Amino acid sequence: MHEDMRTLLNAYMDNELHGTRLVEMKLHLASCEACREELKDLRQVSDLLQAAPSPEFMPAERFVSNLTLNLPRRALRDRPPKPGSLAWWLVPAGLMLAWFFMRTVFTLSGVVTVADATGLLGSADWLSGGQQAIWFEAAMSAFDGQAGGMQSTLAALNDVNILGVNLFEGFLWQAGIVLLYWGWLAAWWLQRGPRPMKVMAGPFHS
Amino acid sequence: MAFDQTAETELRLIQQAQDGDRSAFGELVRRHYTGVVNVVYRLCGDAGLAEDMAQEAFLRAWLNLPSFRPESSLRNWLYRIAVNAALDVLRRKTEEPIENEKKQMVTDQAPGPEAAVIAKEQAAFLQQAMKSLPEAARSVLVLREYGELSYQEIAAVLDIPIGTVMSRLNYARSRLRELLKTQVLQMEYDYA
Repeated sequence: MHEDMRTLLNAYMDNELHGTRLVEMKLHLASCEACREELKDLRQVSDLLQAAPSPEFMPAERFVSNLTLNLPRRALRDRPPKPGSLAWWLVPAGLMLAWFFMRTVFTLSGVVTVADATGLLGSADWLSGGQQAIWFEAAMSAFDGQAGGMQSTLAALNDVNILGVNLFEGFLWQAGIVLLYWGWLAAWWLQRGPRPMKVMAGPFHS
Repeated sequence: MAFDQTAETELRLIQQAQDGDRSAFGELVRRHYTGVVNVVYRLCGDAGLAEDMAQEAFLRAWLNLPSFRPESSLRNWLYRIAVNAALDVLRRKTEEPIENEKKQMVTDQAPGPEAAVIAKEQAAFLQQAMKSLPEAARSVLVLREYGELSYQEIAAVLDIPIGTVMSRLNYARSRLRELLKTQVLQMEYDYA
């Protein structure tokens, strides 16, 4: 018999097969005499192991008394932050809040800029800080002498603050928050329990 | 509901023990003593040695308890420590004869009904057969059969992939079956 098949028979006996693998195994066993015999032998070994008598050990009370008398002094250490505690979950919540805050600020800023560019806010001189001057001048120089359509497009983009430093700052902020969130996610992944069982592939033949 | 209460009580005991409460640790030991000592006995095959190993395991657990994460399984953590402690002791004692084992074999040869004698002989043989298995396979088999851990738990306790758990278990059971078949043939010959 193939070793993979025998391994799967062990898993079946130990109730470790689930879903499709379990159904496949049941169907296979219904038609394979050799595997049924193998399973019977495996169960016999397991039953024998389970039935093996245990000796009489020291009573638990006495064991505990002896042990607690011998417990050495232990240096108390600060426990690491406990996943599941309020502080632990405040980290992603805080990051989400920071993200929402920054998005709101940048969106409002964009809306105000567009409103100003279209004249909705009247003559609000305090809004035109010339932050896009460097980008705008550079882009205009690059397309100097080309079709006027490109320059007018750049001018329009400049008006709505697309080429402005705000876009770059916004990206930086979001990237930073995303990185911090990933860091937290990685920490959560590392501290979580054992990984789920992978389904083992193997042929269903003897 | 009862399970939740037990788990909650255990969590409270763990936190108290982590803060240095010896009586809370004693209660935890009382709860897990039988499981731990049984697992190490099946690894070493000697009751006295198993008690020593269990003591060593619980001492190590006490020292490392502050780093234990209470949301994970204490039983599995203790089994991990116990298996490591047992294997350490066994490696040191590889060449030393075990007195209690000899006594056990003498007791097993006491006269009695034939079926009882056969059962005792078989149990003694089984224990010897277990000891003949490689440590890696024996640990997996013991944690499955006597620790009653799932494959996933065994993988976590021994820090090995689940596929390795499955292959070692397959090897251990197959080897034991071969040995038992040989022994049954021998006994049939002896009693013929």
